[in-house]
Amino acid sequence: MKRGQLPHWPLHLFILMMVVVTLYPVLFVITIAFSGGQTLSIADVPQDPTLRDRLRAILPWPETVSNENFRSLFADQPYARWLLNSVVISLATTAIGVFLASTAAYAFSRFRFPGRRAGLMMFLVSQMFPATLMLIPLYILIVQVLGLESSYIGLVLMYVQTAIPLCVWMMKGYFDTIPKELEESALIDGASQATIFFRIVLPLAKPAVAVTALFSFMTAWNEFVQAATFMNKEQMYTAPVGLRFFVSGFSEQWGYFAAGSIIAAIPVVVLFLFLQKYLVSGLTAGAVKG
Amino acid sequence: MSAAPSHRRRFLIGLTLAALVAVFLGAALLAAARAGESRERSERRSVVTLLALAQLIERAGGEAPAAEEPSYGLGEELPPTREEGMGIGDELAAIEAGTDQVSEDPGEAVRRAVAAFADAHPEVKAVRVVVFEGIRLEASTNPEDKAPRRLEREEKPLYDLGQKLRAAVAGNREGLEGAARAEEVAVERLPGGWLRLSAPVEEAGEVTGMVQMDADPAEVRAVFPWVPALLAWLAPVVLLVLLSFVLGERRALLAAVSIVLLLASLLAFAAWSRKELEAERRATAQAIAEAVKQEGTRAEALLAELGLPAGPLAPELWDANLYREPLGLIRTGGVVDEGRLGELVGADAGRLTRSVVALSLIALALLAFVGWGWAARTGAALVEHRFAYAYTLPAMFGMLFLAVFPFLYSVILSFTNANIYNTDQSVFETWVGLDNFVDILTDFDVAQRTPEGVVWNYQNFYWTLGFTVVWTISNVTVGVTLGLLLALALNTRGLALRPFYRVVLILPWALPTYITALVFRGMFHKQFGVINQILQIFGAEPLAWFDSPLTSFLAVLTTNGWLSFPFMMVVSLGALQSIPADLYEAARVDGATSWQQFRAITLPSLRPALVPAIILSVIWTFNQFIVIYLVSAGEPGRATEILVTQSYKIAFEQYRYGYAAAYAMVIFVILLGYGTWQNRVTKATEAIA
Repeated sequence: MKRGQLPHWPLHLFILMMVVVTLYPVLFVITIAFSGGQTLSIADVPQDPTLRDRLRAILPWPETVSNENFRSLFADQPYARWLLNSVVISLATTAIGVFLASTAAYAFSRFRFPGRRAGLMMFLVSQMFPATLMLIPLYILIVQVLGLESSYIGLVLMYVQTAIPLCVWMMKGYFDTIPKELEESALIDGASQATIFFRIVLPLAKPAVAVTALFSFMTAWNEFVQAATFMNKEQMYTAPVGLRFFVSGFSEQWGYFAAGSIIAAIPVVVLFLFLQKYLVSGLTAGAVKG
Repeated sequence: MSAAPSHRRRFLIGLTLAALVAVFLGAALLAAARAGESRERSERRSVVTLLALAQLIERAGGEAPAAEEPSYGLGEELPPTREEGMGIGDELAAIEAGTDQVSEDPGEAVRRAVAAFADAHPEVKAVRVVVFEGIRLEASTNPEDKAPRRLEREEKPLYDLGQKLRAAVAGNREGLEGAARAEEVAVERLPGGWLRLSAPVEEAGEVTGMVQMDADPAEVRAVFPWVPALLAWLAPVVLLVLLSFVLGERRALLAAVSIVLLLASLLAFAAWSRKELEAERRATAQAIAEAVKQEGTRAEALLAELGLPAGPLAPELWDANLYREPLGLIRTGGVVDEGRLGELVGADAGRLTRSVVALSLIALALLAFVGWGWAARTGAALVEHRFAYAYTLPAMFGMLFLAVFPFLYSVILSFTNANIYNTDQSVFETWVGLDNFVDILTDFDVAQRTPEGVVWNYQNFYWTLGFTVVWTISNVTVGVTLGLLLALALNTRGLALRPFYRVVLILPWALPTYITALVFRGMFHKQFGVINQILQIFGAEPLAWFDSPLTSFLAVLTTNGWLSFPFMMVVSLGALQSIPADLYEAARVDGATSWQQFRAITLPSLRPALVPAIILSVIWTFNQFIVIYLVSAGEPGRATEILVTQSYKIAFEQYRYGYAAAYAMVIFVILLGYGTWQNRVTKATEAIA
């Protein structure tokens, strides 16, 4: 078996190099977050730096470890409010998106009716049209016609529009795998359509509902562009918009940014690592079907 | 469905529905137009009052020759006024006495003018005069304001509003070609239905203050025209019922009669509406003429009472729009200009005709839909598949309003020059046809040859398109190469630490993109960025990364490469692990070398997984808004802008919605073309696999 195989150490070298490249920005953010300061540099470089000074300035470890940035983020900055905005908007998007998508996906999976193909195509094409481009008409409609600037409803409407197509395709894929015989026997037993859907199919599809819900939550949680366009009042910022606010303009508060980023990122990173296998299969399957 | 359908019934239902929709939509439009007219009438009346007030204050403040009193903008040497309640005779005497009598407070005249004006106008309250010089509240009818005094911090909006009006007047005077005009009169609707109007106060051609007042608009609520609408709806229906006894089941005849009846009733309703609108216009003109005449006489009386210079007033100019341009409806002496009124009525008729045409088309479509039995067939399908439609309805409804309708709106928008200044105009007014597309697509001014070399025009569409293509190809290449190499390395049997590597290397995908982008933006900082620190260790000079297109491109490429390789790695790894081990075993038995195994087994097995992943990643990178927007922000000078960021900036930084929508349409067509092409390619690979 061993014969003819390459030795492992060059592979380790290559992978380790990539691991360093991957981890460095993450460690950098953690360093800044725990430095207690607001500057972008890890350490001050003196006028005539020695190699030691230079190396110190790139070593991702703070000169003094302090949790001041985290404390101040909640005590002096409106970050708690921004997190709350993000939670409310993401939860609302998830609830509405998953409810609308699960019923539609069920119909697309089970029934053959005029308009089925057109409907499925619509969901696919609307996913292809980048959300950034839909911003222009939606901005005019939601902000200038409906007057929903800087409101939860306006942003949730935007997010639902992007969430529904992905949710429909993911749920439909799962419904397709549930055998039809179960429903047929229930139908013979005299169950109504609603009973079949809510009592039989939906409980069976619990894993798919959970995964879809988590994905739409993560998408809404991580969204930046639409939130930055719609939320103009500082009080209504979501976490991403607020984090950007820390490091734009004249006073660049990298310490707050780094601390806030860690708080905003940890839940989604954990969720992602837990869910990524579903995402890969869902995405590639969708692409092939397209 | 089996029974022979009754044409009579269908046309009857069709006509009822069509007439109902068209007539009531028309009636609603009419009611809205009347309400608008009534609102406009009251607003114009208030503007007349306001401009009369402004002129009165100007007279009180600045008509006398200018004097050296820099601290008071308005109240310069005034006709001497000593006590309130002076008789007119005394006033005249005082004027004759000349300027040797110095008043104690130069703003006094303004205050007296305001008080007298408020007495004469019970429908007006809260008159306030602000003087810019010294930031003073010069006069107020509200005793609690304790005018005159300096404005307080909380009253900054009041001062700002005055400055805005001053800037508007100055800007409009300069009259820059093509510059958007700004309103010189501010109208704000207060919660109680009152209007708060503000106008600039001028002195020798210079805006030195602002006057504000609240007016009771006394609007007349427009009533919905129930009787004519019901008549126009039911008359053709009743007629068709009667006629249908004669016509029987002859379909063509029924159709013709229905159409004639429908159009006749719509035209009759339109004619009546037109008369109503004309009457409304006339009433407005009369009311304005009345107001102008009344304000003119009142102002003259006030001028005389206050002993102010009684030069000729021009009250007919007070009927003005918010740019203080006279509307020309009232001639000198408060007479309505019939010619101008005729023009207005004519314009109304034009709008009415357009609405009638549109409504008729809707009504005819509805009539045909029901009458010809399409409705019955659609209804049957709906009933047959009712569960399916019920289940899809919520999502479809949402998509219709949030995706399909905005998309269609965006298509329409791309044919207009809609921008932030003309949002209140209709599509017809801003329509420019294909101009936007011609502008975008036929501008080939990408590069210019100058003595110093080639100068690129970064704003040009083709530069951005070219950059986007380069950006997409280089990113996908980097992503696939790194991802594939790592997957192959990680797939080595017996490699230590494999689970650890896998979790770490997937991190960039898990992190929110906006955080990654902002972190890299920081790391590429010229002075404090870590990357320049590393460069300096190797003795290089710090680089200003975002000052040249090439280094800026390298920065965004690094960022996006960092966050996109894990996807390719995961996909490739999944494909590699699904290759059955016995394939390699059999190959080895046949004496194949490692390279031959890789060529013949590994690569072909990767293909079905990699092709869709690459397709997907091309679309993602093409639309990778966040990295460009947050890392390079298009610097330098928009050189590193991709198509989506460019269209975003046109819309939300230049506020050219129409042009941006056209830009978005072009991007959409490119993506659609790519989508169809990849669809064909995938089908082909599926066929091969």
